[in-house]
Amino acid sequence: MNQDVHKLLRLKRYEMPSSDYFERFMDEFHRRQRAELISRPTLSILFERFMNAFPEFHVPRMAYATVAAAAVALSALILFNQQESGASSSGSFALNSPTVTTLPSAQGDVRFPVSLRSDLPPHYVLETRPVSYESPYSF
Amino acid sequence: MAETAQEPEINDEDLVARTQNGDPRAFDDLVRKYSSRLYGLVYNMTSNHEDTNDLLQDIFAKAYRSIKGFRGKSSFYTWLHTIATNMTINFLKKRSRSYKMSLDDIDNGVQHDPEFIELTSGPDARREVNLKELQVRLNEAMMKLSNEHRAVVTMFDIQGMPHAEIGKILGISEGTVRSRLFYAHRQLQNYLQEFLTT
Repeated sequence: MNQDVHKLLRLKRYEMPSSDYFERFMDEFHRRQRAELISRPTLSILFERFMNAFPEFHVPRMAYATVAAAAVALSALILFNQQESGASSSGSFALNSPTVTTLPSAQGDVRFPVSLRSDLPPHYVLETRPVSYESPYSF
Repeated sequence: MAETAQEPEINDEDLVARTQNGDPRAFDDLVRKYSSRLYGLVYNMTSNHEDTNDLLQDIFAKAYRSIKGFRGKSSFYTWLHTIATNMTINFLKKRSRSYKMSLDDIDNGVQHDPEFIELTSGPDARREVNLKELQVRLNEAMMKLSNEHRAVVTMFDIQGMPHAEIGKILGISEGTVRSRLFYAHRQLQNYLQEFLTT
């Protein structure tokens, strides 16, 4: 039975285009080759020449996954470092810079330093007498 | 049953070497030599003349671009057929299911083919075969096979390649070629029952 199928399929070799098809085919092949030279991007030609020059070169199987994982890890590291440096710089500003109060003004906000010494607790002057937040020791 | 893989009158190695050294006319000779054979391979896998024409152009263009990398580990024949088969299977994976068959005419030589005569006028011929109908049914049956099975059937049954050569082209063992053929023939038997003798 398999032999019958084989005989039947062999008849398909008679399905062929007309005889002048293969003569036209060569002309069409040359025309397409010329057209391809004009239309192909240079990068694509260079890449193909590289691959042809090194036919044994193959991209390793896990290369894309490894590169993607490395990129994610690098991004995470950069973000983490940025956050950490931002936090530490804002902390040092709070500790070292003098206290500033803001007063409303018609021409915008004007800042007046009340104390330039950072080693003293903040204090103010009210009616020529210094005022402090520290609790008084006199009862 | 199997045809010889290489025709002796033109030496492929010489033509390949000349092409690699920059002689495009040598590649033209290779195109002339193999275009008919590759046409049969691609056409019987696609059942469409226009697709075959475009694919065949792309196959030879790809072969020309890659020929510098051809190191002669296999014969040029095997290498070229591997390119053709891979490109055709990739094309078929992308082609929509709603394609239309576009069949070539059948050469008149079929009328004198002993197998055709036996099939249509032998004592156990089941029915009178309408040639056009047979062509359509054969192509429909082929297209019901998977791409991989159709490739094996095309190379073995239609083109007459030996199992070993098919294995090399597809990168599979001879045993796999035989098992694919067995499975494909069994499927084709069902589709073509009415044309087969008991």
